[in-house]
Amino acid sequence: MADTLPLKHSVPVRHALAMYWRALAAQVRSIIEYPADLWVMASAGAVWNLLQFAFLAVLFSTVPDVEGWGFHEMLLLSGLLSIAGGANALLFDGAWSTGQMVIKGDIDYRLTRPAPVVLQVGSSHIGLQSFGELLLGFAMFVYGWIGAGLGPAWIPVGLFAIACAAVIQCGLVTALCAVNFWIKSPMSMFAFLMIDLQGGAMKLPLGVFPAAVRVISLFIVPVAFVNVVPVAVIAGHMSAWWLIGTPVTALFAVVLAAGVYRLGLRAYDSAGH
Amino acid sequence: MPILEARSLTKTFRRPDKAPGFKGALKHLAQRRYKTYTAVDAIDLAIEPGESVAYVGPNGAGKSTTVKLLTGILRPSEGTVRVMGRDPHTERIANAHDIGVLFGQRTQLWWDLPVEESLKLLKHMYGVSDADYKARIAKFDELLDLGEFMPSLARTLSLGQRMRADLACALIHAPKMVYLDEPTIGLDISVKDRLRAFLRELVDEGTTLLLTSHDLADIEEVCERIVVIDKGTVAYDGPIQQLKAHYITTKAVNLILEGPADVPALAEKFPEYGWAAGEAPSEVVVTYESNRFTTAEVLGGLTAQLAPRDLSLSEPSIEDVIRRLYAGELTR
Repeated sequence: MADTLPLKHSVPVRHALAMYWRALAAQVRSIIEYPADLWVMASAGAVWNLLQFAFLAVLFSTVPDVEGWGFHEMLLLSGLLSIAGGANALLFDGAWSTGQMVIKGDIDYRLTRPAPVVLQVGSSHIGLQSFGELLLGFAMFVYGWIGAGLGPAWIPVGLFAIACAAVIQCGLVTALCAVNFWIKSPMSMFAFLMIDLQGGAMKLPLGVFPAAVRVISLFIVPVAFVNVVPVAVIAGHMSAWWLIGTPVTALFAVVLAAGVYRLGLRAYDSAGH
Repeated sequence: MPILEARSLTKTFRRPDKAPGFKGALKHLAQRRYKTYTAVDAIDLAIEPGESVAYVGPNGAGKSTTVKLLTGILRPSEGTVRVMGRDPHTERIANAHDIGVLFGQRTQLWWDLPVEESLKLLKHMYGVSDADYKARIAKFDELLDLGEFMPSLARTLSLGQRMRADLACALIHAPKMVYLDEPTIGLDISVKDRLRAFLRELVDEGTTLLLTSHDLADIEEVCERIVVIDKGTVAYDGPIQQLKAHYITTKAVNLILEGPADVPALAEKFPEYGWAAGEAPSEVVVTYESNRFTTAEVLGGLTAQLAPRDLSLSEPSIEDVIRRLYAGELTR
């Protein structure tokens, strides 16, 4: 066909990413044009983060520090985790629908289009709560940054940590949601467990946990690299060498997500036969 | 050279083999057993460029599974598929540019976006030029009345609107091979007519079409060739007209007589034909075996002896033939 791109067996990365951003941009345009649910959902995301802030404020009104971490450093932890969660909801929320799509056979159409299925699924939906999570997450992060007395020299590191946190979060959630290609459940249980682990443990310094939890969160399900490791490095609680693990984990998360999705698509047998 | 060729195409699925109820579920948990179910069984199919093929069969016959194998959605358990010389599963991306797919039971529209945005996303995905996109949208609008709901969110569309929008999505990149799985399911008569007219035009322009439908009017109006599938195997493959000629051997003439029809007397007078009362007292239906009598012979004899006020020939119904094929009353 004269008017199609000269694609053969794979999609050029630039074309695939352009398609992905267009899908997201179209969703954002639609949300702006039809904002019925936006305010409710965005407020829900914001309120959840306000509660986190209130919890930390109350906690630090009674204790001076937690394992040597002060209030503002803990705000950095919670803020970066919220940003990562908000980024997942904004940039790759569709991955959470993998299980439902597998059960209903909704992957079918995506397999007949000239674009990577994982990007089509990831960009199929935007979580409206992301706007509230991102806004309050950034507010907590900036407030913690200023309160912790971090200078502007660390800003590039902070931005780098935010970018890596978003990629790691999206990658790990997508990989765990892709497990539903095999277990055929509409609920992304493993991804929920990861979020639960993050919500329960990754808002505190690693030092408060036993070694097993530290090993799991650093090397098995490397969620510590989303927020704990970069904040610990920035705040001077860990050696700067640990920061190398952040982009490495981001790359690992992307490769893992793409790999598990690819294997999942091989196991996909549609619905209604 | 065929645009699509499937050889010994087979697809099996594994299903849990367990007794019903809670007890059966518990037993299956301890002792897992599976049965292999063959959905498509060694099907051979070749479609030439420009052909319009109806792929029909009863529920569970393997139609949708075959379409999924031909489009590359599923991997065959055995056998091969080639679409324009490519394996649609392993060469998915290249194949996607040449095929258009519509599953009537599902939508490919982005649920939270206006129809126009879905079409634009597909335009970019397939790399359709601005000029071609405009021309195709104008044509779809003319034939399918897309304009009225282009700004509407997909989730607000009626079924008929959704199907028309999905058809536009399937064809926005002018694919050479189009698969339509139940494209008229749940639609009212006027939308069905419009869709069929559109599909006829598509075929006239040279697009190759594989259509599955339970609505046999879709098939008769759009397709020239029919493949009947049952229990995963091909029960018939050939021109629709040939299917009718081969299997429809009983034809019918409706006669309107000047006065009330005395059916027993007529049956006695013309025992070589079948006789039945029509809807009106003066109407009678005469059936005859087309392999024994020509229509001219029958009409000549009856008009000469009965001098009917009016008469009409009943067109043979393909629906009846397919029903009998499904029921196993007819053989290949």
